[in-house]
Amino acid sequence: MIFVTIGSMFPFDRLIRAMDAWAAERAPETELLAQIGAGAYEPRNMPWVRRLDQADFARTVARADLVVAHAGMGSVITAGRFGKPIVVLPRRRELGELTTDHQLATAGWLRDRPGIHVADRDADLGPAIAGALARRDDDRPHLAPTAPETFIARIRQCILS
Amino acid sequence: MSREKRRKIMAIASGGGHWVQMCRINPAFEGLDVFYVSVDPSSVADVPGRTYYTIRDVSRRDRLGFAVLVAQLSRILLRERPSVVITTGSAPSLVALGMARHLLRARTIWIDSIANVERMSSSGAQARRVADVWLTQWEHLSGPDGPEYWGAVL
Repeated sequence: MIFVTIGSMFPFDRLIRAMDAWAAERAPETELLAQIGAGAYEPRNMPWVRRLDQADFARTVARADLVVAHAGMGSVITAGRFGKPIVVLPRRRELGELTTDHQLATAGWLRDRPGIHVADRDADLGPAIAGALARRDDDRPHLAPTAPETFIARIRQCILS
Repeated sequence: MSREKRRKIMAIASGGGHWVQMCRINPAFEGLDVFYVSVDPSSVADVPGRTYYTIRDVSRRDRLGFAVLVAQLSRILLRERPSVVITTGSAPSLVALGMARHLLRARTIWIDSIANVERMSSSGAQARRVADVWLTQWEHLSGPDGPEYWGAVL
């Protein structure tokens, strides 16, 4: 199953439209679910929901073979926690998809990490998905469930001081 | 009362990536008196056994939302009286840090989101004025006058 998520309620119709077009061409056995938030575009070629609560979101990621998302840390970290490959399409400020371009920077430093695939443009989504699915058995993100011990120790020490 | 008993921590974060990053530093609060504040009622599932409050998620331009947020935070702060407030952002947490510091003289810790790679977030930049500990998760953004870099959640 491929889980498409915009990561919040803030619309990201560009991703949903592109994935709906991809869905129209997909192999019929490929299962999809899209979380579309408050977007105006309603997919015609894939099942969708507006939002998922935290537990359902985690369960859906756990069940997915691949996550396709905006370049937000919530989506990236959750995919990493469940060892799921992820394709990210960064939101762009000039298109009104976010108030800053920080997702471009996020995509920049995440690029080439294990299991993380960046689609810079809509047209890159298809090839990125194909690449991620082809390598999904040996190319997964691995993320410890918590922050590094040294960082946690320093925060704790500060709280206790 | 021992010093340990008087220490109460408020961990506050917006939804999505901000909350997920807070969850990654949860072990720092192990065995301590901590309660959580975020914007999605269903996030309570991530912090079983802990007190959890939901606040309104506001942007700066939402004046009515801002008034609601201040009322919600006042109620929480006066009821719980935290001595330490820690956050991973964003805008509502900035308001909370300012209020906690002025109402309760709480010690305040701002950890800017790891998503802010090129510059501090706008809330993060403003947090300098209300944070006792002011952190970035990127070493190249730290400087002698702050923010400091202590590490990152990844």
